[in-house]
Amino acid sequence: MNTNLKISNVTKIYPGCVANDNVSLEFNSGKIYALLGENGAGKSTLVKILSGVIIPDEGKIYLNQNNLKLNSPLDAKKNDIGMVFQHFNLFETLSVFENLIIDSDEQRESLREKIDTIMKKYNFSIDLDIPVLNLSAGQKQKVEIIRCLIRSPKVLIMDEPTSVLTEQETSELFLSLKKFSEEGILIIYITHKLKEVMQLCDEVAVMRKGKLVSVSEIKNENIESLANKMVGQNLKTIKKKKVKTSSDQLIKITNLNFTSEDPFETNLMDINFSVNRGECLGIAGISGNGQSELFQVLSGEIISEKNSIEFNNNYIGDLNPQERREYLMAFSPEDRLEQAAIPQMKIFENVALNNFKSSNFFDNGLINENKIKEHSKKIISDFNVNTNNIELKSQFLSGGNLQKLIIGRELITSPDLLICFNPTWGLDVGAINYIHETLIKINEQNKSIILISTDTDELLKLSDKISVIHKGKLSKIMNAEEVTSEKLGILMGGAN
Amino acid sequence: MIKIVKRDQPSRAIFFFTPVLAIFLTLVAGGLIFFILGFKPFEALKFFFIVPIADKYGFSELLLKATPLCLIAIGLSFCFKSNNWNIGAEGQLTFGAIVSGGVALLFYEQEGFYILPTVILAGAIGGMLYASIPAILKTYFNTNEILVSLMLVYVSKLILDYLVVGPWSNPEGFNFPETRQFSDSAKLPLLFEGLRIHAGIFLALAAVVISWFVFYKTYLGFQMKVSGFSLKTAKYAGYKGKKMIILVFLISGACAGLAGVGEITGPIGQLHREISPDYGFTAIIVAFLGRLHPVGIIFASLVVAITYLGAETAQIFMQIPKYTGQVFQGMILFFLLASDYLLFFKIKFMGLKK
Repeated sequence: MNTNLKISNVTKIYPGCVANDNVSLEFNSGKIYALLGENGAGKSTLVKILSGVIIPDEGKIYLNQNNLKLNSPLDAKKNDIGMVFQHFNLFETLSVFENLIIDSDEQRESLREKIDTIMKKYNFSIDLDIPVLNLSAGQKQKVEIIRCLIRSPKVLIMDEPTSVLTEQETSELFLSLKKFSEEGILIIYITHKLKEVMQLCDEVAVMRKGKLVSVSEIKNENIESLANKMVGQNLKTIKKKKVKTSSDQLIKITNLNFTSEDPFETNLMDINFSVNRGECLGIAGISGNGQSELFQVLSGEIISEKNSIEFNNNYIGDLNPQERREYLMAFSPEDRLEQAAIPQMKIFENVALNNFKSSNFFDNGLINENKIKEHSKKIISDFNVNTNNIELKSQFLSGGNLQKLIIGRELITSPDLLICFNPTWGLDVGAINYIHETLIKINEQNKSIILISTDTDELLKLSDKISVIHKGKLSKIMNAEEVTSEKLGILMGGAN
Repeated sequence: MIKIVKRDQPSRAIFFFTPVLAIFLTLVAGGLIFFILGFKPFEALKFFFIVPIADKYGFSELLLKATPLCLIAIGLSFCFKSNNWNIGAEGQLTFGAIVSGGVALLFYEQEGFYILPTVILAGAIGGMLYASIPAILKTYFNTNEILVSLMLVYVSKLILDYLVVGPWSNPEGFNFPETRQFSDSAKLPLLFEGLRIHAGIFLALAAVVISWFVFYKTYLGFQMKVSGFSLKTAKYAGYKGKKMIILVFLISGACAGLAGVGEITGPIGQLHREISPDYGFTAIIVAFLGRLHPVGIIFASLVVAITYLGAETAQIFMQIPKYTGQVFQGMILFFLLASDYLLFFKIKFMGLKK
């Protein structure tokens, strides 16, 4: 039987952000659909709406022309919509079978029979009686899939299913998904990995900033065209005035590796680059390819081998962020509200987070409040933070003003190198321009920048050299003049 | 029509008002319970909250009960402010008492100025050692500190039980589960003739002052505050998050251990089975009722101490079981958590409009 799923004018608004802006889509069984977009593009929100986790502000969902009321995940299950989330929902200490029987109302024996049939049919081999914690990530995912198949779903939604799988497990998963599709299950595959879309899917819907950008057949697309749709067309090509950069090397990264224990993080492999004084090195990439890990390794939140980072002729790979600041490095992390600043603390307290020995914020272990306040007032006036009350809790600053405060806090000590990660993420145009001008000014003062960003326009505007990070590996470093957004798009998709 | 609206920011005034509101609601609900049980509510509340502290002796008893509550709650506030959920203060108290009691017994029938400081120090170290178990398991093995610290309470009580019945029991004690009396040099001096209030109260007051100073005036306190709000930020700033976790556990263990010292070297002067009427658990209520602020904790410890005394008076004069005290403690926490809702939401009264 043919299944038709229709999303009609769905809108979901969160305070300060439109997660889904009037999205309409139609799916038919027999095909595998990709829902493509960067982190924060709104695909997860849409999927959560389909699975009843989130209730949309406006819009309707139809399954075979029936208007569905999805008020809870249970409603989605009742309506034959199955969902495998990126993070597994399994009880690690219970056996596979116990995990499967939890949300089923069937008899033990008949359920076991049913599971056996499913496993035989799709060539899954999992011991039902061992605890889930003994399974590999791929096997755990199969358990989640079986859990959906027990209910013979009409629709199966997979949210970033390959982020924890090995190559081999990925190809096994693709085979299974193709089989499900042949049997009439409608499959929606959520990802930001372009190669997988090309390999697996028949149709692709691209989302950006909450909006549906395009729906097209895979045969009419290629990796570059999809990458461009995903990150947005390169509209402006304003570049900074080319200043003469020195050949005086400031920081050099040699054979830097990072292997994470967390399967949701990206491993960094053999990172090598150097930045000269007065230069801005841009690092492009689709989010989730190791940018966050690279930032942490550079800032010292993740410590690496001493010799892997050479800064100003000192080996500093084993130093923590505070120790690195003493060598005149500064850091502006991506997450303003949960990392770079503490919203519940006052402005001047947030200023004290960037603490040098010479700043004398803390004398003999005591807080020198006057010193910190004096310093904070200077930051506020020098960097145009729109308030004059340094006792204000920083949660009452707008995103732009908070970012100015953070950048100001990092720059007022005139560091030799600023490392920033998505510095203009979520800001309005005025604030973006201010931050960009500030960054250009730093380079003019012969100071260096490492700019990790997912915004291609920003990178082309500010960088002298550009490299692309993909799956934890850096591409070769290119001169910014030779780079076009198309070329970046190809590299971001993983092609050479 | 009544409508509930989310506040733009938690109200500062409400922050200090809700504990008062919680106490008021507890009194109302308590009165109601007394009424249902067939007592005159106002009279019963008078027996519970006013009669016990109406004379000099009663007031001394109030301070005696408030001392360990205040001391433990101050220690716990270090943990709770940095999001470490140590709920095993009762165990740290017990273990602190065991270690200091053991040291006091070593000095049996001896005299010397150095004995009391040694005994006090031993208690603090005992509490720290016991608190270091959940701290180390949490930081290096990712265990949940709530479970570990709670379960260790029962372990420490069993150790105490074994010691006072077995190896440490008083040879001339007719098999009562208690140790010998400590020598006078190992006891905290009583402050007034005929009253039981002892020098332990100065330990509590010192803890209040020191914790205020550390929280609000030192770099260490600043690091604890930041680590409590966000470990990610602490890492980014370059603070040593794991050390911070162990440190707050050690501080709270030391405070609980000192409370244990006060209980055994005060008026009682020996180790026995029931050294604490769950002060370690009740202090959790005190810490929250006092808003984790040193001054707030002083007031909260006095309020909660009354429930201990009131329960005893009520048992004597009204034949109500003394466990009513725990009912009142539970109600205070219940109403406090409920009125905290007002921190984030406000109630709007609007006209009847359709």
